[in-house]
Amino acid sequence: MADQGGLEGSQPVDLKKHPSGIVPTLQNIVSTVNLDCKLELKNIALSARNAEYNPKRFAAVIMRIREPKTTALIFASGKMVCTGAKSEQQSKLAARKYARIIQKLGFPAKFKDFKIQNIVGSCDVKFPIRLEGLAYSHGAFSSYEPELFPGLIYRMKQPKIVLLIFVSGKIVLTGAKVRDETYTAFENIYPVLTEFRKNQQWCDISLKLLLLRLDASLLLGL
Amino acid sequence: MTSASRGCTSCRSNSFERDAMSGHLCCTACGLFQEYDSYEPHLGGLNGPEGTFVRVGTAGTGTVYTYKQRKVFGAQTLIGELIDRLGLTDFRAEQVKTMVANITENEFGEGNWFPILIGACAYVVMRKDNKPLPIAEVASVICSDIYELGRMVTRVVDFLDLKGSEKFPEFDIVWSFERAVRKSSTLSSVESDTLEIMRKQGIFLIQCAVKWFLTTGRRPMPVVAAVLVLVAELNGVNMRIEDAAMVVHANVSTTRLRYREFLEKLVKVAQVLPWGEDVTVKNVVKSAPFVIEYMERKSMEMPDSKKRKKVDGVIGVDLGDVVSECLRKDVEYGTDGYGVEGDSNCFGVEQNGGIVRAGDDDDDSDRMKLSHECLSLMYTEFLDKMRHKNSTEGSTEIRGRKRTGFKHRECMDWWNGKSDLTKKLLLKQILEKDVGLDALPPSFVTGCKVYKKRIEKINAAKVRINRVMHPSRTDLGESCDSCSLDSVHAKKKRNRRQSNDIDWEDFIIETLLLHEVKEEEIEKGHYNTLLDLHVFNSGVLPEVLPWKAK
Repeated sequence: MADQGGLEGSQPVDLKKHPSGIVPTLQNIVSTVNLDCKLELKNIALSARNAEYNPKRFAAVIMRIREPKTTALIFASGKMVCTGAKSEQQSKLAARKYARIIQKLGFPAKFKDFKIQNIVGSCDVKFPIRLEGLAYSHGAFSSYEPELFPGLIYRMKQPKIVLLIFVSGKIVLTGAKVRDETYTAFENIYPVLTEFRKNQQWCDISLKLLLLRLDASLLLGL
Repeated sequence: MTSASRGCTSCRSNSFERDAMSGHLCCTACGLFQEYDSYEPHLGGLNGPEGTFVRVGTAGTGTVYTYKQRKVFGAQTLIGELIDRLGLTDFRAEQVKTMVANITENEFGEGNWFPILIGACAYVVMRKDNKPLPIAEVASVICSDIYELGRMVTRVVDFLDLKGSEKFPEFDIVWSFERAVRKSSTLSSVESDTLEIMRKQGIFLIQCAVKWFLTTGRRPMPVVAAVLVLVAELNGVNMRIEDAAMVVHANVSTTRLRYREFLEKLVKVAQVLPWGEDVTVKNVVKSAPFVIEYMERKSMEMPDSKKRKKVDGVIGVDLGDVVSECLRKDVEYGTDGYGVEGDSNCFGVEQNGGIVRAGDDDDDSDRMKLSHECLSLMYTEFLDKMRHKNSTEGSTEIRGRKRTGFKHRECMDWWNGKSDLTKKLLLKQILEKDVGLDALPPSFVTGCKVYKKRIEKINAAKVRINRVMHPSRTDLGESCDSCSLDSVHAKKKRNRRQSNDIDWEDFIIETLLLHEVKEEEIEKGHYNTLLDLHVFNSGVLPEVLPWKAK
C-alpha cells in the first residue's frame, strides 16, 4: 500500500503525534483553483456528459468524476471549487482532472493558485460525554442549544477549528487548512472530553443487579 | 405656457401666460391671475425640482407624524401585541423594547424580519432571567421557523456579548416543566394539593431523565411532555400525549418516543424488584408507584462518594461474604413496626451493593426496612393485576389507543416528596444522586450495537475469505456453520435465510479486508472514505516516490 497522507489510517498510530491513540478520519477536503480563463458554461454543459448546469438555480457548472469520487463547481470566471476528496492528494488530482477536461473542451485552462480551503474530519472517542457540563465549564468557547442542534459547538481559538461534539462520543472537526490542525485540535480537546465522560461501570452495575436480585429472592423465599 | 386644462375663470379664454414675478398664470385676454392651489414653485430653491407635487397619505413634511415616528409607533405596538400573545407581563415588554431599541439603535424596524427580532429578544430576555420560553412556542407565536428564530437568537446573543452561563444561563428544563403544568388546561381542574404533588413528582422524574441522558443532545420539550403524561397518569388524571405535546409545542411522535424511552428506563430500575423480570414497558406504569418510591428512597441515601467507602469492601472483593451476609437476613428483616400495615411503610430497600443493612446506621429512623410479607403482598397484588387486567373495568386512552386501566395506589401512600430531587438541583448534584439506575445515552448504546454488528460482519467476512484462500479447511468450517445455523434457526427459516444472505456491507468489508485495511478502521464504518482511500485510489501518487526515496 502506498505511503501517503490519506492512508494514515492503515499505518500504526504514532503516539507522539496522537497521544490519545485516536486519529480523526478525514471525510471531506474542499479546494479551489483558478483556471485563469473565461469559460462558456453553456458550452461546457452541452459538451461534457458528467456536467449539469441550471443557471436559474446556481450560476456554475456542477461536474463530477468517479475517481477520485469528487464534485467540482466551475464558474464562468474560471474559478473552480473541488469538493468530496478524502485526502489532499486526491483533491489536487481531481482538480487537475477537471482542468484537463476543460482543456479538452477547447478552453485555455491553466492550473493556478491551487489551495486547500477546508478539511473536515471525524472520530469517535467511544465514551458518552456530558454536554451540559462541558458547556458550563467552557462557556466562552462553546455553544450548546439542544433546542436547535443536538451537538455542542466548540470554537477552538488555537488552532482555529470548530468542533461539533455529540453525546454519543462522536466528534466532527472542521475549518482546518492543513490536516495537522485537525489532529492538534483533537488532541487539545481530548483531555477536556475525558473530564466529562460518563463512567462506564458495566461490571459494577451487573454485579450490583445480580446481588440485588439474589437479595430480593431470598427475602421472598422464592 | 400658453394654454391650460381649464379656461379662464372670468372670460373662459384658454390662452394663458406665466407672470415672471409671481410665477402664477395670467389670462392673455382679460389679464386675470388664475388661482391654482396645487402648484408649488421651486421647493428646493432655484435648482430644486419643478412641477406639481401631489401628497398621498399623511407621511412626509407638513403631516402630523414623520415616517420614523410612525415606524417606531408601529414597532412598539407590534412588540406589545407579541409579548401579550406570549403571555408575558408589561415589565417584560419594556425589557424587550429596550433590547430591541439597543440592537436597532432606536430605529426599531418594519418588515418580515422585525417580528423575528422581537421573538429573539423575548426569548433572550426570559432566558437571561432563568425563566426560558420554549423556542418552539416563540416561533409559533411569531409565525416563523424555529431555525430562523434560532439564528436570530444567536445574532442577538453575539451582539449583546452574552457569553458564559452567568450572562446567558442554559435552558432550564425544570422551569419549563413547571410552566407546562401551570399552562395545561387539562390540569387546571385538578386540586391544588394534587397539582403540587404532580409538580414535585415531575421535577423528580425530569431530573432523573437528565441523569439518564434522556435530555442531553435532545430537544427538551418532548421530554417535558412525556413526563407530564406519566405524572398525570400516576395521579389518575387523564391526559393524552397529543394534549401534552400541544401544551409545550412539541412534536407528538417525538413525545411518544421519549415517553417510551422513559418507561424503558423505569423497567430497568424495576429489575431490582422481586417481580422485576415480569415488568415490561407495557405494564411498568402499573408498577411505577413502587419504582418511583424506590427511586425516591434511593435518592435520599447518602451520595455515592461517601457510600462507596463502605461499599467498596463488599463489591469489589469477596462475593462469598456478600452471599453469606445475604443469607443471614432472618433477623435483620424483622417485621417489627413495619409489617403489612401499609405499602407506604413497608417498601424500603436499603441497597448498598446488594446488602440490606437495616438498623446499622445512625439515621435509620427514616431509613427503610423491607419486610418480606410486604414484598410478598405487593408481588401477589401485581400478579393479580396482571392476571385480571383484561377484566378490569374502566379505560384510559393513552397514545391514542384504549388501554385497560387500573387504580393506582393513592399518591399519598407511596410519594414522600422529601427527596432533594423534587427541587431544582445543579447538574453536579443531580449526578451525585443515586436513583437506582445509571444509564448511558441511547445514541451511545446504539453506536455500541452497531460497532458490535460490524465486528461480527468482519469476522464472518474473514471466515469467507479464509474458505476461498484455504479450500482444504473449508469442509470443517462449513459443516460447523451449517450445524450451528440449523440448530439456531431451525424454526425461523426467514431469519436463517437472512443470516445466510450476504448484503452490500459484507461485500464492502470483504473488499476492504482484501485491500489490507485495518479492522479498527473498518469497525468505524466510514466505508466511502476507506473505499476512496484504499480501493479507488489508482491515480494518486505517494508524496515520496519509492525511487526518489532510495
